[in-house]
Amino acid sequence: MNTHHSMIAAAVAAALALGCASTPKQPAGSEQVRAKLTALQNDPALAAQAPVATKDAELAVTQAEIAQPDAALAAHRVYIADRKVDTAKAQAETRLAEMQRTALNEQSEKARLDARTRETDLAKSDALVARAEAAEQKVAVTQARSDADAALLAANASRQQAEDLQRQLEVLQAKPTDRGLVLTLGDTLFATGKSELKSGATANLDRLGDFLSEYPDRTAAIEGFTDSMGSEESNQALSERRADSVKRYLVARGVKSDRLRSTGRGENAPVADNESLSGRQQNRRVEVIISQANGAGGGK
Amino acid sequence: MYSFSKSAPVSRRRLRIAVPVLLLFIAACASTPPIPSASLQAAQQSIADAERVEAGTHAPAQLGEARKKLSAAQRAVDEKKMIVAGWLADEARAEAELAVARTSVAKANAVNADMKRSTATLVEEMQRKTGDSR
Repeated sequence: MNTHHSMIAAAVAAALALGCASTPKQPAGSEQVRAKLTALQNDPALAAQAPVATKDAELAVTQAEIAQPDAALAAHRVYIADRKVDTAKAQAETRLAEMQRTALNEQSEKARLDARTRETDLAKSDALVARAEAAEQKVAVTQARSDADAALLAANASRQQAEDLQRQLEVLQAKPTDRGLVLTLGDTLFATGKSELKSGATANLDRLGDFLSEYPDRTAAIEGFTDSMGSEESNQALSERRADSVKRYLVARGVKSDRLRSTGRGENAPVADNESLSGRQQNRRVEVIISQANGAGGGK
Repeated sequence: MYSFSKSAPVSRRRLRIAVPVLLLFIAACASTPPIPSASLQAAQQSIADAERVEAGTHAPAQLGEARKKLSAAQRAVDEKKMIVAGWLADEARAEAELAVARTSVAKANAVNADMKRSTATLVEEMQRKTGDSR
């Protein structure tokens, strides 16, 4: 090479250098961009996440590092490289977030499953409680039913009692009157002129005694009657004795004497005329008037 | 762009060498290349992409910068500074692409945070429910 040639070349180079830009060894800012890229590449979580963008950034950084006389171009390249590194980093972070989402999904699924399991358990225990409550309720219902049954039984019993009473009164041939139930015992109880009860003629009195024993709230008024034969005084006395006799009999059978009141009505309340035999027979009688303890008339 | 002829004559025709070299140098530094329409178009497209993914919400700084770069590029075209216009357009594009990437991160993180929150809520609710269970 001759000197002219090299001189010319040097001049051209100088002109170029002067004309366009200074030529720094490494463009300003390129080191920082490289450092940023290296940090991304060394981040174990992000390094492999955005390979294409990272490669792209790498190329841009390498180009930005090339010594460049044109400062504006160098700055442009550094700018581009910087944004590409940032973009690669952002893409890697996005990818990482998406990967983490899988784990989050699993966590959330697990939590949801746990919640469901617990809900089921709760529901199960709720069901147990409900079942226990239902059982209690059933017991209560059963109790109520048996109470109702008892009430029904009681009602039945009282109806039964009422029916029994009715039946017994029918057997006694008691007749409802405005004074109460009147039971008429015929003259067959006594011998003529006597006040002692004939043995064997007391079936009706026994039934009356049973009835009074069974219905302790009933009281009885015992009234003796005679026909018009004989003197009035003797008839009065006889009727009293006969009523007493009936009372005594009933007391002897266990009926308390305060429930029984005996009176003699003599010959003054005939139910038939005294002219005929049969009329007189009807007039010789003992009437037992059965009433409630409170004085009200019993039954219908 | 920056090259000088290897076939420079050896002899004393210095001037005849210097002139074309100077012309070349002038061409290299001051010529007006065509409008960098590909770069401008790419930048516009990238900004449109960024707008579509709502970078305005998630990466407003980058999107704003990209728009600024693009209009600077267009101004440079008007001023016939085509090389600078090309650079600015490329920078606008890189900025818009960064805006898109930043938006993706923001969205992905938001989704994750949401999932974490709802899972935490679920767990918390569950514990409360179990806590006051009979």
